Amino acid sequence: MNKNSIPIGPFHPLLEEAEYFTLIVDGEKVIDIDLEVGWMHRGHEYISETKSFTQSIFLVERICGICSTSHPLACVHAIEDIDNIEIPMRAAYIRTIIGELERIHSHLLWIGLAGHFIGYDTLWMWAWKYREPVLQMFEIISGNRNHYGMMRVGGVARDVNPDAIPDLNRIMDELETKLIMISKAVKDDPVLHSRLKEVGVLSNQAAIDYCAVGPTARASGLKIDVRKDEPSDAYGLIDFNEIVFQNGDVYDKFVLRVLELFESIKICRQCLNELKQVKGPIINNIKEISAGEGIGRYEAPRGEVFHYVRTDGTNRPIRHKVRAPSYVNIPTFQASCKGIPVADALITLASVDPCYCCTERSIKLLNQDYDPVKLDLLKLSREKTELLRRN
Amino acid sequence: MDKFDIMEEFLLSMKNKIDKVIRKKRRLYFNVKNEDLHTVVSYLFHTMGCRLSTATAMETYEGIEVLYQFSYDPGGSFFCARVIIYDKKNPLMNSIAPIVKGAEWIEREMMELWGIKFEGHPRPESLLTGNHPEGLRVPLRFGRIT
Repeated sequence: MNKNSIPIGPFHPLLEEAEYFTLIVDGEKVIDIDLEVGWMHRGHEYISETKSFTQSIFLVERICGICSTSHPLACVHAIEDIDNIEIPMRAAYIRTIIGELERIHSHLLWIGLAGHFIGYDTLWMWAWKYREPVLQMFEIISGNRNHYGMMRVGGVARDVNPDAIPDLNRIMDELETKLIMISKAVKDDPVLHSRLKEVGVLSNQAAIDYCAVGPTARASGLKIDVRKDEPSDAYGLIDFNEIVFQNGDVYDKFVLRVLELFESIKICRQCLNELKQVKGPIINNIKEISAGEGIGRYEAPRGEVFHYVRTDGTNRPIRHKVRAPSYVNIPTFQASCKGIPVADALITLASVDPCYCCTERSIKLLNQDYDPVKLDLLKLSREKTELLRRN
Repeated sequence: MDKFDIMEEFLLSMKNKIDKVIRKKRRLYFNVKNEDLHTVVSYLFHTMGCRLSTATAMETYEGIEVLYQFSYDPGGSFFCARVIIYDKKNPLMNSIAPIVKGAEWIEREMMELWGIKFEGHPRPESLLTGNHPEGLRVPLRFGRIT
């Protein structure tokens, strides 16, 4: 056997984040893979212990740009779990809408990237183009395209304006038409079939052994979905399907995410309809959190986000553990990449939708100095939000 | 196993191996001795079909705690096995990675951030701080050496 190693990363033009893989190959065949992380670790868990609960929610929102709802939502679930805090019904529906919109934009982002990785750039441009209205919906609801700042212990920070609901429904209808087109393009394309089917297979047993979560696990036949297993917020009150496939290849992961888009739209529509009837407060006034420990989790687009918070009765955690889905999904490469040709390795590595910011729980500390460019961008953003609200 | 009596079933089967049980809604926290850890983890992972969500280490004045959080997905509940290591100068405990492959990374992380030595770990190397400059050791312990 003639072994060679191919390094990918830590900074690679095809990969959007710092990551480092070493493929051990024999000719064209990958026989082993070594994974090295730690390029972005900046001590988030330690910083959280120096912040109050309210500040921690803002902190974890900035772990990752794509999961900027999943982390704060899991964090507030963990804090609420300490004292079994209930939230108002209206807040439950709003949380669910924000969570599902995040799933739609994250899956569209991944579908685009996956298309780009295999040279199908039309799909990339479609997916990212149709992701834009989702970000507009976020802006209508929260005033931000990203980092929505909606989650609070005991509820949410902002209400959904009842006048905006028809607009949100209209954008959702238009989006669904486009998603049907993308869905057909994915399922009917013979090139995608030959490029993705039976590629990078993660067997059911390997998914169990590596404790995989989310679409990575569901594509391998594991029926795991926090929204169904431990329904929080409004998930126990609405109707949606859990999509599960059996083959564990990249194609199944691809189609699973496409089908989950339609389930997310279904969930959002039901929640928006409920918001027309459900009135009342959006937050319960929580004055203090008792000493104790709590576990919070949420089904992020990539799988279960896990937060553990322990407190001694003060207003800050003495331990805050964060585990993102990519942390358990990335090691599955050791099972799915072995035996495949080098040419298929990249799409297999991308198939779990890895997020390295989440995996390493980084936090970017911005320069606090005066920055006129930043202020101008803020002004422009506020003007655009106002324009969207008026129209 | 019926998801409603799963906690009772577990408590009955493991009653000689666990103590200091705290039961909350869908959460079961309990202490395990290091020598019983493999038996309890094997029961959770193989017999009950639990999934290891993650593990959390923290330092208290009593010792160093390692909390393994196992998710029982059909019932939406958590079984949290807590091991306390009293010897802070030489923290040593059994690795569960030979039983649960998914524990490899988190144990490597606890090894470098908390200085815990996991006996029987298949790859006892740094995970996150492998490329950091020399001198960064156990960064999350009290009186951390940086």
